[in-house]
Amino acid sequence: MTSVLELRQVKKMYGEFTAVKELDLSIPEGAIYGFLGPNGAGKTTAIRMILEIIQPTSGTISVFGHSSALEVRDRIGYLPEEKGLYKKMKAWSIIAYFATLKGLSRKEAKKRAYELLEKYGLKDFSDKKTEALSKGMGQKVQVLAAIAHDPDLVILDEPFSGLDPVNQQVMEEVIRDMAARGKTILFSTHVMQHAERICNSILLIARGEKIFDGSISEAKRTIPRRVRLETDSDIGPLRSLPEVVAVTAVDLEGVPLGAEQIGGPHWDLQIADNADPDVILQSCFDNGIRLRRFDHSDPSLHEVFVNLVGESAREASYR
Amino acid sequence: MKYALLVALREYAENAKTKGFWIGLFIFPVIIYMSFEIQTLLNKATPTRYVAINDQSGNYGDAIDKELEWLHKRDIFRAFGDYAKKYANKTEGEGKKKINFEKIPAIDPEAMMNQFTDSNREVVQQFFDSGGVEASLEMMKPMLVADRPDFEEPKHRYHLVPMPQVGDASDMKQTAQDMKPFLKGDEMITVDGKEKELFAFIQIPVDVAEQVVRPNQPKMSIGEERRGVEYWSTNLADTDAKEVVERAINEELRRAEYVDRGVDVSQVQQVEKTYVPFVSLNAKKDVGEEEVSMADQIRQWAPVGFVYLLWIGIFTISQMLLNNTIEEKSNRIIEVLLSSVTARELMMGKLIGIACVGLTMLGTWVGTLIIVVMAKAGPEAELANAMLEVLTTSGLLPAFAIYFFFGYLMYAGMFLAIGSVCNTLKEAQNLMGPVMLIMIVPVFTMMFIPKDPNGTLATVLSWVPIYTPFIMMNRAAADPPLFDVVGTGVLMVAFTLLVLYLTSKVFRIGILRTGQPPKIKELFRWMRSR
Ligand SMILES: Nc1ncnc2c1ncn2[C@@H]1O[C@H](COP(=O)(O)OP(=O)(O)OP(=O)(O)O)[C@@H](O)[C@H]1O
Ligand SMILES: [Mg+2]
Repeated sequence: MTSVLELRQVKKMYGEFTAVKELDLSIPEGAIYGFLGPNGAGKTTAIRMILEIIQPTSGTISVFGHSSALEVRDRIGYLPEEKGLYKKMKAWSIIAYFATLKGLSRKEAKKRAYELLEKYGLKDFSDKKTEALSKGMGQKVQVLAAIAHDPDLVILDEPFSGLDPVNQQVMEEVIRDMAARGKTILFSTHVMQHAERICNSILLIARGEKIFDGSISEAKRTIPRRVRLETDSDIGPLRSLPEVVAVTAVDLEGVPLGAEQIGGPHWDLQIADNADPDVILQSCFDNGIRLRRFDHSDPSLHEVFVNLVGESAREASYR
Repeated sequence: MKYALLVALREYAENAKTKGFWIGLFIFPVIIYMSFEIQTLLNKATPTRYVAINDQSGNYGDAIDKELEWLHKRDIFRAFGDYAKKYANKTEGEGKKKINFEKIPAIDPEAMMNQFTDSNREVVQQFFDSGGVEASLEMMKPMLVADRPDFEEPKHRYHLVPMPQVGDASDMKQTAQDMKPFLKGDEMITVDGKEKELFAFIQIPVDVAEQVVRPNQPKMSIGEERRGVEYWSTNLADTDAKEVVERAINEELRRAEYVDRGVDVSQVQQVEKTYVPFVSLNAKKDVGEEEVSMADQIRQWAPVGFVYLLWIGIFTISQMLLNNTIEEKSNRIIEVLLSSVTARELMMGKLIGIACVGLTMLGTWVGTLIIVVMAKAGPEAELANAMLEVLTTSGLLPAFAIYFFFGYLMYAGMFLAIGSVCNTLKEAQNLMGPVMLIMIVPVFTMMFIPKDPNGTLATVLSWVPIYTPFIMMNRAAADPPLFDVVGTGVLMVAFTLLVLYLTSKVFRIGILRTGQPPKIKELFRWMRSR
């Protein structure tokens, strides 16, 4: 697969402060790439550099094989982090304006604008000035403006923020629609559920540094496999199984309890990489352990995130 | 370039939609039209005003009455002159005669020009002596177009009314107090059975003759008690009535004085009506054309109008540019824009778009000016004729176009730079303060420069590039030295290019910046940056 976007040793300094440290990244065609990281990680900075809105301090970026994103601007759509529209312009004409800037003819652009507004539930607002729209509606208009010219690469900075659950779904739909037509999508988010549901790969950065880059399943493998149990019985017999690496008493949310606290009824069993969870389940039956819950599903991306960048995220917030 | 034009198109379309634009577009033609029509409109709109007199001396009532009547006659005479000119046969065809205005003293333009001088009194008197409106109409019939409305005599501007009944009229102090409610409109007087408001009230004391001030005589103490004639009114802006009354009383007084001193009154009157014609000549003109005509007057002062248009035009649209830039910045639309166009394309687009807005506005203004003037021009409209002549023959219009172009680019560049470093309109206003202070100078000097267009002040200011467009426009009609014209022109163009160059640097960096506006030092660093 050819890569649509390539970052090599890209670095951005703001005075003494390094916002992005030597970042390498390669996004293949057709990917839905999630850009994750705590506040202040450098996501927006990286995105702005990709779009050539700001210049990197060092390193090279190539988009569709071009060293300047502006050379291929017609093939890129962008939704910035801070959303805003011309207040006095009508919804359709904003969409059409940005589309013409991306090379569509005025007639095409107008047609496209109305189509999109209708398709994504804003038909009644097409001819309203954007100052009459709610924040979420305005944001939708802006997303539509970003994709009106049917770009091959869509870059969305926090597209879900400020949307209600229904519109978050609409947003997911927009992304999936684009992907289904072979477009490449890069978006940043703080909501792991969205990333987990729609991304095939993620880039995790913290304090400007790349922590993880790869598919979702690879990400999940970065934390040890485990089985979660809920039982009032004694789980002593399980401790001696070869598959079980460690046993931790946890609370309802899965947070480990301190050593001085009495365990139960929730337990986390860390299991060996190649172990079969069924062996443990069998052992429970054999030893008469009465289970209320046996959960060996993969960890959520949320857990991966907290596990990988929890420390730096908290530190960053003190910075 | 294509992208810049797309940006320009939006800027134009959006700004052309604003209320401000349309108000700006219409206000000027309305002003032009009004300035031609205002006198007629005002005359029509002003109702007859009622004046009461408490003449304790008993000597001046007639004189005042006569003087007011004279004022009315002059109005009739003037209105008739206008009427005759308006409906005169403009074409000389079969059976029609063209009016030679010079031949008819009553409507001779020269006489019209002099209507405020005393000699004009003679003309008016002559007009009425020889039968007034009716006789003149009869005489001029063949020279007037057939389908004309009847001549309508103008209303009396002032009407003398008897004093309303208020106590003892000889007690002036008390009477003045009693009359106050009438003047304030709390009480009405009755004229021909209708309630009317009293406009003015004049009191002449019994001993007014003893209060006369004479040269070489110690002044009588003039205090509350002895302050001469009192003119009471709530409208002190309309001074016509006061002047007429003052003139009537003083003339009457002088007549009495002549008699007292044994001077022949009729002799004096004769002498008072003698005068020598006075003509202004321009040394720069060719032999035979030195006489300063109305067109020359207009030529001298027209640039002031253009400077004003230039100033208003440039700052209205530069302000639009500033507002738009700040809107884009504060809404962060700028980021989307910059992912589609370069900062330079954006800047160019904005400059072009807003320039077109300005051109539309100024084009409409100048266009309507020409249209109104052309519509008004014709044998009977000297002013309009002269204006048309000035507009078409002088280099004012091309000069205006050139100075607008560079003036706009220069100031637009500065405003754009300011807009790009500010996040809110408030921040921008702080920065605009000093800029406004500098900018206001041409407005102050605007009226002085035509009096000494090639003087030191004008010359020095012309060489300050930010003032060049305004000051040179101001001087445009006075044939400034070629050296000044070319020199300041070159400097202006160079400065404009410099401003645009520096603006493009500041704009590129500033437009993406959030937070505090940069320090001066920082600005210089941006300007030097690659
Ligand atoms: N113009 C700037 N000048 C100085 N520092 C900046 C500037 N822009 C960003 N930074 C810093 O760079 C770091 C990365 O910022 P960035 O906006 O990229 O974070 P982010 O990952 O998008 O965070 P968030 O999730 O909060 O949007 C932050 O620490 C921020 O303070
Ligand atoms: Mg961000």
